[in-house]
Amino acid sequence: MNLTLRVWRQKGPKEKGHFETYQVQDVTPEMSFFEALDKVNEELITAGREPIAFDHDCREGICGTCSLTINGQPHGPDEAATGCQLHLRAFKSGDTITIEPFRARAFPVIKDLVIDRSALDRVMTAGGFVSVNTGSAAEANSILVPKDKSDAAMDAAACIGCGACVAACPNASAMLFVSAKVSHFALLPQGKPERDRRVLAMQKQMDLEGFGNCSNESECEAVCPKEIKVCNIARMNREFLRAIFWSKE
Amino acid sequence: MRWLFDFLNSSIGKKVTVGLAGLLLCGFLLTHLAGNLILFAGQAKFNAYAEFLEKNPLLPALEIGLAALFLIHIIVTLYARWQNWQARPVSYEMTVSKGGRTWGSRTMTYTAFLLLGFIILHVATLKYGLATSFTEDEVFQRVMTFLKSPWMAGFYVLTMAGLGLHLSHGFESAFQTLGVNHPKYTPVIKAAGILFAVAVAGTFAVIPLWAYWQGGLK
Repeated sequence: MNLTLRVWRQKGPKEKGHFETYQVQDVTPEMSFFEALDKVNEELITAGREPIAFDHDCREGICGTCSLTINGQPHGPDEAATGCQLHLRAFKSGDTITIEPFRARAFPVIKDLVIDRSALDRVMTAGGFVSVNTGSAAEANSILVPKDKSDAAMDAAACIGCGACVAACPNASAMLFVSAKVSHFALLPQGKPERDRRVLAMQKQMDLEGFGNCSNESECEAVCPKEIKVCNIARMNREFLRAIFWSKE
Repeated sequence: MRWLFDFLNSSIGKKVTVGLAGLLLCGFLLTHLAGNLILFAGQAKFNAYAEFLEKNPLLPALEIGLAALFLIHIIVTLYARWQNWQARPVSYEMTVSKGGRTWGSRTMTYTAFLLLGFIILHVATLKYGLATSFTEDEVFQRVMTFLKSPWMAGFYVLTMAGLGLHLSHGFESAFQTLGVNHPKYTPVIKAAGILFAVAVAGTFAVIPLWAYWQGGLK
């Protein structure tokens, strides 16, 4: 199959970007989308031109490094998948595919399709942890965790921090990411002692980073490769209201 | 009191404020609608109701409270929208929804401005009689004369369609914002939101249609 790729090219953070068009010939449906980009890059390098910069690491949907908006959808058209898990069988020969970086003020473009997502790390540094070193694994029955709570905490902890939620949100809000992190601690006994301080600090840092305000559009839930649900956002709202109005923090 | 400032200035605080004001405004819509339905009971009953309202000593305080609710709902939203607009300085060339957004959520800003324009026109004309040639003092006669115009009746019906869209997202969104999300109750809240939107907007829209078909005062 043959494809036309329209790719966002931007030399550096301060440069103005633009789209460039590339033809990809003789690729096969079982190839991954990134392999098609690799092919374009090999041809660019052979021709002595600058290859397309794009982030990727594990290429199996667990690291959260890829940051491509493919045909207007963060991570592309597949459900519950990252960009690196997308295959060319999702397209037809002759298709034109538009590739942009995740766009948000808090995610400045470094080069081409590579963005700086350290804003999410700073939100984690503000409170996304348990301060006490718990040592090695305790006896399993010393702290009882109900199954439904541990399941919900695990579902929230599945977040890989890719930032697709921010990219898909019409307001560039990071609420799904932050709420997943808040939830994963708030649901477990080990996270409870610091729950008030945590949600206040993480919410404050989130605002400082310049993300937008959530307006419950739920596009974040629809694009999340790990299927994090917006019920986590409601939980974070509850945690925040609790911390503001009932705690001494 | 620093915590209160932090709350009001936070992104969650802003949406809680907008959501609470929105839910209270939903309460106002119900009382307004109940009052409107007295129109069908005839001229005498409706004018008696209007007089009862106007002579109520609590009315000025209630009106100020209502205006404050509207202003809070509008100003805090505008501030949040302005921040949201800044949060994505370079917009996408292509945006395709994956199914999260609804027609209601997508059109919130447009329906909001439509409703704001409507409220200004509605209060200026029917309450204060500005830019109208009312010779009647009685409210029933004013309403019927005003809605005789196909333009006005049409604009009223259009606005109510906008109100329905606005409520279809706003009602359920307010609950989510206040942290009410539960596998047992959220489907009920979503259905109640759609029902509320259709029932309130639909019933409001019957009034201009009815008044128009009456052809003013007989």
